[in-house]
Amino acid sequence: MAASSSAGRVVTLCKQFQNVLRISSAINTPKCAANLTKIQSNFYRERSPLVVPCSFSLTSSLGQCRALHTTISRRGLEEFFDSTENWGESTVKSGAPWTAKQLRTKSNEELHKLWYVLLKEKNMLLTLEQESKRQRVQMPSPERIRKVERSMIRLETVVQERETALRMLQTGQEKARPGAWRRNTFGYVYWYRFKEYAIPWYMNKRYKRKRFYTPKFVEPHMRLRLEKHLREKVRKANLERETQAGLLKKFPQMKVPAS
Amino acid sequence: MPVTRLLYPLYQLGNPQLRIFRPNWFLTLVRPGKEMPPDTAQFRIPMVMTKYDVKNYLEKIYNVPVGTVRTRIQFGSNKKRNHLNQKVKQPDYKVAYVQLAQGQTFTFPNIFPEKDSEPTEGSMEEVQEKFMEDEKQKQKLDPRRGGVTEWFGL
Repeated sequence: MAASSSAGRVVTLCKQFQNVLRISSAINTPKCAANLTKIQSNFYRERSPLVVPCSFSLTSSLGQCRALHTTISRRGLEEFFDSTENWGESTVKSGAPWTAKQLRTKSNEELHKLWYVLLKEKNMLLTLEQESKRQRVQMPSPERIRKVERSMIRLETVVQERETALRMLQTGQEKARPGAWRRNTFGYVYWYRFKEYAIPWYMNKRYKRKRFYTPKFVEPHMRLRLEKHLREKVRKANLERETQAGLLKKFPQMKVPAS
Repeated sequence: MPVTRLLYPLYQLGNPQLRIFRPNWFLTLVRPGKEMPPDTAQFRIPMVMTKYDVKNYLEKIYNVPVGTVRTRIQFGSNKKRNHLNQKVKQPDYKVAYVQLAQGQTFTFPNIFPEKDSEPTEGSMEEVQEKFMEDEKQKQKLDPRRGGVTEWFGL
């Protein structure tokens, strides 16, 4: 149930996103046809910080689209390579990776744009690495791959933080994938993660075959297991104590460890 | 890379298509080992990607018109042995041959061109180069001897 709701939320988000795109494209097309001049674009850029991009309402989405500055890439497959002036250089300068603190100040849309920038950068670096391996030359500045990876991991954590916060507000669930503590036939308690099924559980033969309880006759075995565990623990403690005592007898000046 | 493991919702007829917001698939454009038609590019792709994924990836993210995609799986060699004489497996990978549409062509450029860079004054490289040149000059035979070997003569 909860899993389906989270999936449903994703779907509704998609739909909203699509709607926004459709509206923006529908509104932007006449302007594009009227040959957007530089002055106009400047005007939009100046206005953009005034509009707070926070919700998916119509006005704010329009504002977002005006603030949006996307360049349509015409380079195609050339984007898999570094810019031409960096070819054949032994080192290429690069900045520091994005920190989580910096990323937290960005909006969700900006984060998603940044993801694709990082993705392209990493593709480029992987291509460069493979080609340098093939030609048996040193890759220029191989630390860049690590930097991009770190930025991506941090971006992902920031996005997940936001998702969790939103989920907590909307449904009060802490985990994206709901679950419950269940016990199995052998008396172990484990975290069971729920998953989606096409049919209800009482019709699902496979699911009904599973046993999430411990039969009565397993109880003595559970006791034995506990006993075994405790005995092992005591035996280890005794052994440790005896070795320490022996050492102390051999070396009276030895310091006794704290634990 | 520990990016979110997605749990896709069960597909039922009429559901919307799956969307991926932050794809964690990385393509590597590689120089083809064998000669290929001019409109074909060769990629190394993750195992989980399908032909349609590659097509969508290139069209949506890179704006490259894709005609057809053909894939195969390259078996990584497990012939190598380590110091304990155990077999060591190189990882397998998937190869995609992407045929571009709209008459586009692609040739893999030389991204490591020879650059004749002047070493900076007083640097270690310059000193080394100078030393090597001097050594070479010393090794050369006297040109006045006209190619007669060293041991011959007084």
